[in-house]
Amino acid sequence: MRGILLASLGRGIPVTLAMAGLLAVTACGSGGEAAVSAEGGLPAEIKIMTIKDRTGPVAFTGLSTIKGIELAVEQINAEKFLGETKIVLESKDPAGKAQTAASQMTAAIQDKSYAAVFGPVASDQAAATSPLAERGKMPIIYSQAGSEGVVIGKYTFRATPPMTSYYRVIGDHIKSKNVKTLGVVYNTTLPTLKEVAEKVLPEMGAELGFSVVSSAAVQMTTQDFAAPISKVVKEKPDAIALLLVGGQNPTAMRQLRQAGFDGLVLGNTAAGAGNLKPAGQDGAGMTWPSDFHPDQPGESTKKFVDLYQAKFNERPLNYAAEGYDSAWWLARAVKQAGGASRDDIQRGLDVVAAEGFEGAMGKLAFENRDMRLTGVIVQWNGTEEVLVGSDS
Amino acid sequence: MIAWYDTNIILIQSTFVGLLMALSLQVPIRFGVFSFAGIGCYGIGAYVAAIMTIRYEWPAAAAIGAGMLIAGVVGYLLALTVRRLGGLYLGMATIAFDLIVGVLAVNGGDLTGGPSGLFGALADVTTLHLVLISAVVIGLLAYSERGAIGRRVEAVREDPELAASMGIDVRRHRQAAFVISALLGACAGGLNVLLRTTIAPTDIGFSLVVLALTMIIVGGSRSWAGALIGAMIFTWLPGFLEFSGQWQKVIYGVIVALAAIWVPGGLLGMMTDAYRSWQRSRRDAGSGDGDRTPLGSRAEGTPA
Amino acid sequence: MLQDLINALSLGSIYLLFALGMSLVWGTVGILNFAHGAIFMFAAFVSSVITDQVRLPLPALIVIGAAVGALLSVAVQLLAFQPIMRRAKDHRSGEMQILIGGIGVAAIPLAIAEEVTGSNPFGFAGSSYVTSTFSLLGVRVTSTQLMVVAAALVIGIGVIVWLRFSRSGLALRSIGVDPETASLMGVNRRVLSLSTMAVAGGLAGLAGVLLTYNLGAITPESGDVLLIKAFAAVILGGVGSMAGVIVGAYVLAVAETIVLTQTSGLWVDAVSFGFIFAVLLFKSEGLFGRREVRRT
Repeated sequence: MRGILLASLGRGIPVTLAMAGLLAVTACGSGGEAAVSAEGGLPAEIKIMTIKDRTGPVAFTGLSTIKGIELAVEQINAEKFLGETKIVLESKDPAGKAQTAASQMTAAIQDKSYAAVFGPVASDQAAATSPLAERGKMPIIYSQAGSEGVVIGKYTFRATPPMTSYYRVIGDHIKSKNVKTLGVVYNTTLPTLKEVAEKVLPEMGAELGFSVVSSAAVQMTTQDFAAPISKVVKEKPDAIALLLVGGQNPTAMRQLRQAGFDGLVLGNTAAGAGNLKPAGQDGAGMTWPSDFHPDQPGESTKKFVDLYQAKFNERPLNYAAEGYDSAWWLARAVKQAGGASRDDIQRGLDVVAAEGFEGAMGKLAFENRDMRLTGVIVQWNGTEEVLVGSDS
Repeated sequence: MIAWYDTNIILIQSTFVGLLMALSLQVPIRFGVFSFAGIGCYGIGAYVAAIMTIRYEWPAAAAIGAGMLIAGVVGYLLALTVRRLGGLYLGMATIAFDLIVGVLAVNGGDLTGGPSGLFGALADVTTLHLVLISAVVIGLLAYSERGAIGRRVEAVREDPELAASMGIDVRRHRQAAFVISALLGACAGGLNVLLRTTIAPTDIGFSLVVLALTMIIVGGSRSWAGALIGAMIFTWLPGFLEFSGQWQKVIYGVIVALAAIWVPGGLLGMMTDAYRSWQRSRRDAGSGDGDRTPLGSRAEGTPA
Repeated sequence: MLQDLINALSLGSIYLLFALGMSLVWGTVGILNFAHGAIFMFAAFVSSVITDQVRLPLPALIVIGAAVGALLSVAVQLLAFQPIMRRAKDHRSGEMQILIGGIGVAAIPLAIAEEVTGSNPFGFAGSSYVTSTFSLLGVRVTSTQLMVVAAALVIGIGVIVWLRFSRSGLALRSIGVDPETASLMGVNRRVLSLSTMAVAGGLAGLAGVLLTYNLGAITPESGDVLLIKAFAAVILGGVGSMAGVIVGAYVLAVAETIVLTQTSGLWVDAVSFGFIFAVLLFKSEGLFGRREVRRT
C-alpha cells in the first residue's frame, strides 16, 4: 500500500488502492502428481495477461505481486501441474493510469489468444476494468484493489481478503491488553479504513467490552497529525488505532509517541512493507491484523516462503503471496474445468472457490468470488515485522 | 482496421472525451478568460449523469443533458460571482472551485457515494455518438473562430477596452465563455462516466486540470484543432512510452516542459508557422522563376 | 486547548516556511512557480540520501537542503522560466506558459524521487540529531517544533526587513511594481530575478529539511499537497505582501486545526480551497495586499 500515500491533488493517482493484507496459499499441495499427461481439452499454451503497475506510485505493490505470480507459474509449468500445457504470462504496465489499464483490458478481450487476466492492484484501475470484464466475458483475478465496484459479477474474482473481513482476528490481542477505551485516528478517504474505524472497531468493542471514546478523521492530504492526535490523546484512551495509508504511518507514530502516548497502537497492513522504518524506535509496537506473514504456521505457507527466498533472495511480502495464490487459483481452475477457454476458466474458478484450497496465505475460503481467511497478527518492532500470534 | 479499432476502442473513445474536456478549458482562454472551471463542471456533469443513470435509470442523452443543464447554470452563476477577477487570480479562484467540487463529492454521502464514488452507470453510449457530438461541437467552434464572431472574440481577448469602445458587450462575451466551458466540460464528464461506468472524487482532482491544460498548451490554444492534436497526443502517449518503463514520467515531464518553453503556440502554431514560411518561400521562389503563380497568398491572411 | 494552539502554531510555521519563497517570487518577479513543491521535496530527498551514507548533524543537512533547493530553483529559472519569458508575446500568455512549464519541470524530480524510493516515505534516520520532547503545564512540545516556529518567524521577519530596508530589497520591490521603469533606473532584472529564485529555492530546501525532521518522514508527493496550502496562505495575505503571507499561513493553520478538532475532520480540505475562493471574491487583494500591484 505504500504507493498510495498522499497521492492527493497532485496527480490523482490511485488512491483507492485497497489495502489488504495477505494470505497466501501455496497451492502446491498437489506437487507430487506432476506428470498428468496433457488432457484432451488443454492447449499447449495458456496465455494470460498481467495488468499490474511496474512503474508509478503503486509500482511497489505491482512488482511484488508480479514476483509472486511468476514464481507460481514457473512452479506450475515445472511440475507439469497441467500436464504438457504451459501457462505463459504477458505483462502490461498501466503505470498508475486507470485509462491505460482499461485500454489494456480491452486489448486482452479482443485478442482471442488471451484466456484470462490478472487484474490491476489499484482500485481505480480495477473499477475501470471490471465492467469491461463482465461485458467482454473475460475472467479476471485481482489482488489488492479492495474497494467496492471491483468484484461485481460472474467474471470478476479477487485473491485478497477485504481487511474488514479479518480485522476481528486482533480481538483477542486487544482483550489480553485489558483495553477498556480506544481512540481512533483514521483516513476517511479510503473506504476500507473508514469502515474499520466507523463500524468494525465499535462492533468489536461491544463484543469485547471496550468503547471508542474519541475519533478524528484525516484526509489523504494530511501530513501533520499533531492536531488530530492531541484531540484523541486528550481522552486518555488505553489503546489508539491509527488507520492510515502507507506514508502517513511513520509520521503519525512519531507524533503519537511525542504526544506522550505509550499504550497499545493498532494499525493496518498499509503500515507494513517497511513503511514504518523512517519512524525508527517511535514506530515500534504498532500492531495490526494481516492476511500474511512469512513466519505464519502451515505447510503451504512454508513451501511458498522457501521457494520465494530461493528464487529472489528476500522475504516475500503479502503482495507476492496474493499474486502466488492468484496464479494457483487459476491453474486449479483450468485443471478443474478440463479446458482453457474463458468460460472454462470462469467456471473452474467458481468451483475451486467453492471448495477453497491451501495457499501461500494459509487456508483459503471464498465468498462471492472474494477471498476470506482468518488472518494473523503482526507487529513492527522497530526494524521488522514479527508475528504476534495466529489462529491458523 | 476493424481489429485495430476493437483493440484500441478505449483510446479512441478517450480521445474524443479528452478533446471535449480540453475544449472546455480552451474556449474561455480564447475569449481571454483564464478560467479552469470547465474541470469542475466536468465533475458535475459526470456525477449528475451517473446519479441519473444509476438511481433513476434515465436514458443516456437525458442524463448527460441534465448534467449539462446544471453545470451550465453553475457556470453562469460562477461567471457572475467572479466577474471582477482576471488573470492568474481568476485562474486560482476557478481551480479552487474545481477542488471544492471534489470535496463536495467526498462529503456527499449516499448521493455521491462518498470517497469510493459511484459504480455501475451502464448506458449505451457508442463511439458513433462521440463522433457525432464532437463533430457538432467542432463545427460550432470552427464557425465561432471565423468571420465577424471570430473577430469579436479576438477583440475581447486581445483588448477588452477597445472591444467595449467598439460596442461589443465584453461582459456578455465573458459570461458566454463560462457557460460554453461549463457545457463542454459537463458533456465530456457525462460521456466519460457512461463509457467507463464509474466515477470517484479522485478522478476529478487537480491532475485533470493539469492534463487538460497540457493538451491545449502542447496542441495549441488558439483553435479547436490544437485541442484535438493535444487530446490525441496525451491519450496515446502513455501507450507509446510503456517501453521506457520507470522513466515514463520523466519523459512526460520533459515533453510538457519543452512544449511550454519552446513551442508557445503549441504544435498547431508550429505547423501553421511552418506552412506559412513554406508558402512564402514557394512564393518567393515562384516570383524568382517567373513561371509560377504564387499560391494561396490570399488564404494566408495577415502575415506575422 | 493550549496544546491545540501549539500544534496550530507549528503547522502554520511549516506552511509559512514553504509559502515564503513562493510568495517572494510571485510578488516581485511575477512568477507563480508550480515547481516550488518539487524543489522543496527534492532538497529533502537529496539530504535524506546523503545522510543515509554519512551520519550528519542537523545544521549540515539544513545547509545541504538549502543549497540543493537554491541550485534547483536557479536551474528552473535559467532553463525554463527565462526562455519562456523571452519568447512570450505578452505578459498574460507568459504567465500561462510559466504555469505549465513549472508543472512539466516539477514532474522530473518527482519521478526521480519516486523511482528511487519506490514512493515510500523517506526520512533522516541516518542523522545524528534526535528530537527531544518537553512537557510543561500538560503541554508537550518537541525541540523540532520549537525550531520550526523560530525559523519561520525569524526568516519571515528577516525577509520583510530585507525587502523594506536594503537596496536590493528596494530594487526587488520596484520590479514588482513596475519592471520597465525599474530597468530604466538601473535595476538589473535578470540578475535580480535569478538571485530571488535562488533565495526562494533555498527557503524551500530549508523548509523541506525542517519539515522532514518535524514529521519524521515525508513522501515524494508531499510537495504537491503543500503547494495548494501555500497558495491559500499567499492569497489570503495578499500577493506581494510578506507580512500578509505570515498572517495568512497562521490563519490557515488555526482554521484547519479548529475544523479538525471541533468536527469530524471531513471538511478540512475545504478550508484552504474555500479561503482561496472567498478571499478572491470579496477582497481580491488579500488582507494586506496593495490593489493592483502588478499590471493586468
